[in-house]
Amino acid sequence: MPRIVFLLLWSVLIALLLALPHGLSLSQQEVLVFLTINVLLVSSYRLLTLTGEWSLGHVVIMGVGAYGSALYTRHFGIPVPISMLLGAATAAVLALLLSYPLFRMKGLYFLIGSFAASEIVRLLWKRMREPFGGAKGLSRIEPMPDFDIGIWQFDFFEPVSYYYFSLAVVGVCLWIMWRIEHSPVGLTFHAVHWQDKLAESAGVNARAYRTLAFVLASAFAGLSGALLAHYVGTVNPSSFDVEVMVFVLTWAIVGGTSTLYGPILGCVVLTVLNEIVLRNLGFEQARPLIYGLVLIVSVLFLPKGLESLVQKLLERRRTAIALQPEKA
Amino acid sequence: MIASLLRSGVSRRTFLASAAAGAGALAGLLPRPLRAQDKTVKIGFLAPLTGPVAAWGKPGLDGCQIWAEWINAGGGINIGGEPHRVEFVAYDDEDDPAKARTGATQLIRENDVKFVMMLGGNSWPGVQPVAERTGMLFSTLLPSDLSPSTATLIAPAEVHPIYNVTAVDWLAANRPELKTAVICAQDDALGLPSVATYLAAFEAAGIEMLDEPLLFDPATTDFAPVVTRMLSKKPQIVCLDTCYSDYVHPICEQLFQQGFKGQILSCTLDFYDQVIAKTSAEFMEGTLFQFPDFDDPALNADFINFQKPNEFFAEYNRRHPGQWGAVSWEYASVMDLWKAAVEKAGSAEPDAVKAAMTEGGEGLHAFGKARWWGKDLFGIDNALVGNWPVVAIEGGKARIKEFRSIPDWYDKHGELMKKHMAAYNQMWDQRG
Repeated sequence: MPRIVFLLLWSVLIALLLALPHGLSLSQQEVLVFLTINVLLVSSYRLLTLTGEWSLGHVVIMGVGAYGSALYTRHFGIPVPISMLLGAATAAVLALLLSYPLFRMKGLYFLIGSFAASEIVRLLWKRMREPFGGAKGLSRIEPMPDFDIGIWQFDFFEPVSYYYFSLAVVGVCLWIMWRIEHSPVGLTFHAVHWQDKLAESAGVNARAYRTLAFVLASAFAGLSGALLAHYVGTVNPSSFDVEVMVFVLTWAIVGGTSTLYGPILGCVVLTVLNEIVLRNLGFEQARPLIYGLVLIVSVLFLPKGLESLVQKLLERRRTAIALQPEKA
Repeated sequence: MIASLLRSGVSRRTFLASAAAGAGALAGLLPRPLRAQDKTVKIGFLAPLTGPVAAWGKPGLDGCQIWAEWINAGGGINIGGEPHRVEFVAYDDEDDPAKARTGATQLIRENDVKFVMMLGGNSWPGVQPVAERTGMLFSTLLPSDLSPSTATLIAPAEVHPIYNVTAVDWLAANRPELKTAVICAQDDALGLPSVATYLAAFEAAGIEMLDEPLLFDPATTDFAPVVTRMLSKKPQIVCLDTCYSDYVHPICEQLFQQGFKGQILSCTLDFYDQVIAKTSAEFMEGTLFQFPDFDDPALNADFINFQKPNEFFAEYNRRHPGQWGAVSWEYASVMDLWKAAVEKAGSAEPDAVKAAMTEGGEGLHAFGKARWWGKDLFGIDNALVGNWPVVAIEGGKARIKEFRSIPDWYDKHGELMKKHMAAYNQMWDQRG
């Protein structure tokens, strides 16, 4: 693709994303904020899956970032943007600690181990009323401070302002994730996934790379949790239970995980379906049923996820372009 | 026919004017319900309608629909001399604070509702900033959401878990031979304040706790070990706290299977017919809880303020057989109070309604005259508290044994309540 077309496409996409909230109702703008945060969550999950490991603890790791950021602001008076980064760092450190026992396992065992470890963390939040607030969690979490840039005033209670803030953060994170995946480190992640024995025979420390992917993914998940906490103003252990994790898995499975945009596509399509389309059509109470049906249908008819549709379209376009000179 | 009328010399203008006059005259002859449809006042219903807590949202919405139909059929709500039709706009918050925030935004800023009813609990902290910004009047079924920072949040129907003291008080007066108890509860925002309340009530009644409260994780599905541990202390009373029906049912089954012969005490016993089917009427006989069936003759007493409770129960069961639960009537009873306040204020604006509702410090609760109360426990007098029924299973049917006064109990034992609430970090200034 010529560079000018590439830049043009990106400019159009950015313009669309910037204009998007102005075409939505207030409640849809709220959904857009949560959707943006969830895009970061599910993309970070994909980063972990690059090494072939699927975790059931990713949402709890997100919660670590949320709790961490909320507590840093509350107890140490750290400004919200910095506490968000510290929350992300806390999630990464916890992931590093958990990686020692967890990466003694692989595959299904890792999946179960990650669930057990995350439940321990979640139950600690419940049991320890100080500092985590117990079952009721933390409320009245410090919001992002409002600020003005010339004619633009950012009131972060309003969804449009918070959307722009989240969009900027998520955009930077996605760019970093893309760079990681396309760096030698990212290629090694793929090697560890598909040919771990071969990679090890070539001197790659597979466990270290799995740990690195887990820590990096956790940092991004923690940041998404921090973004959520400072917008909603509350966190509690139920917000990060296995039911929420099932949603993340569903987004990843329906979207596909072989590309960066796959899980994002799954997250966007399913969230719009669940939170906007079905609610507006009056299927408020039938949503879990319809959501389940969509999942079954997509697994049956799109086993490689929604991304496979995009890949087919791109492939057709490439073929058409390749054939053009021949025709000429 | 219209064309022939016009051809016969009646002008279009005359025809339209006559038709409008005729329609106006016809409207005057029609009963009030149709005229009430001219203007509509919208009420937000923000509660879990799907998911594990749906049993405390969905039946309430079903009850509200009946309430609205009856009110609309009776001429609607009179606001400033004009009849208004009532319409409920529901949003499923899934007991999630983020979704509740979205729902509150939609209801207030898009649907233009004048009042929002919530279950509360987990979802309230997400809505709190929206409530404070917009000044909207909200109601909760869980007064533990109340705090001085949100003056527009009221708890006008249910003073959970404070009313639980009435059953323990009744037990102490009527079965004084029962002197020992154990308690279990799910470890969550609903279970813990209820544990503190029961502990205060047991202490006030001179009933000894044989063990620390057994707090189980809400994800628990196997209750055999929970029940085994409780029964190992050989209690006379087993208290199920405010467990969700998903826990109450298997715990009762386990109590039955493990041969418990004593007194069962619970806050709710939703779908008790199913529990009886799984155990036996004899086993469940005498089980005490707090939520009556509304076909109970005791609800026809003069001091009851809920409109036509027996008919409401019959209609509810006709539409939703087997789904009557603790909250089926509660949201509708909140609407009774709201309607009275709106008609008194002549306005549906939140400030005016709240002022009319709390004027004089008293209000008409479903179970009788009550007072606005709560400063001690919630930091603000926004909970309507009065009498509450003590209900027992008798011959397989829920029957009200007595209405007992919560304020009377609190006047005598308030310090105990505060002590136990503080021990469980449930005082308003200890939260979050």
